[in-house]
Amino acid sequence: MQANMAPDGITVREEDKLRSDMYGFLASLLRSEPTDELIDQVTQLSGDDTPIGEACATLSKLAGSLDNGIIRNEYVELFVGVGRGEVLPFASYYLTGFLNDRPLANLRGEMDAIGIKRAAGVKEPEDHIASLFDIMAGLIRGDFGRAYSTAEQGTFFKKHIAPWADMLMRDIEEAKTAVFYAPVGTMGRAFLEIESQAFEMDLTDQS
Amino acid sequence: MKSDKVEVKQSGRRDFLKLSASGAVATGGAMLVGKTASAATVVEPQGDGYRLTSHVKKFYDLARF
Repeated sequence: MQANMAPDGITVREEDKLRSDMYGFLASLLRSEPTDELIDQVTQLSGDDTPIGEACATLSKLAGSLDNGIIRNEYVELFVGVGRGEVLPFASYYLTGFLNDRPLANLRGEMDAIGIKRAAGVKEPEDHIASLFDIMAGLIRGDFGRAYSTAEQGTFFKKHIAPWADMLMRDIEEAKTAVFYAPVGTMGRAFLEIESQAFEMDLTDQS
Repeated sequence: MKSDKVEVKQSGRRDFLKLSASGAVATGGAMLVGKTASAATVVEPQGDGYRLTSHVKKFYDLARF
């Protein structure tokens, strides 16, 4: 299946495809209990000796050795729980200590401006990390009606992701219940670090 | 700290991303997980009203295999 979903007339550069794929991949792992199909795809991944590559290789091995049901149970214990999960992957919670607070309202305003809304049937608030990663992927691919410049992507990233997502990824890495998800946190942390650095490079190139 | 980055050009950013973000690959050399990126997303366009949205969603539901 083609991953390039950009509308006609928008070309996605190689490195931007890499970025949108990575956001999409992390979102698909963090969004809900992974399906058999997704876990099977993860077993087919490998990695080089970069931090992302090493975490990817570990994740791939775990996907092949752990029972799929155990992986899904881990997701539920980690992110959903009985009452609440060990980790609450919402911007508002990380930034204010409360769910559904000001950061969510700010994000909704921004989503309005972009022209997107929470998909039908999704129960989680929009400031879930998977939703924010989906938005980043869409901005990069040009899914939302037009191409968004790197600077615009960077503005969204700095406002809604950078202030808290690194903390979240560390919490996932170090969570008591995390086995399969530990390298997901590592991958996420490494990738977000790269994104931050790359956006800084871009800022120096705007003059 | 920023001054030593002033010379960095857009191509520097691209090379940096290609080098540092390309560590994870699908076997066979294809780039990472493009296929998983097509899984159901959490957001959708507001578009021209609910009817269009639900039709588009239905289309995607039917097209999935």
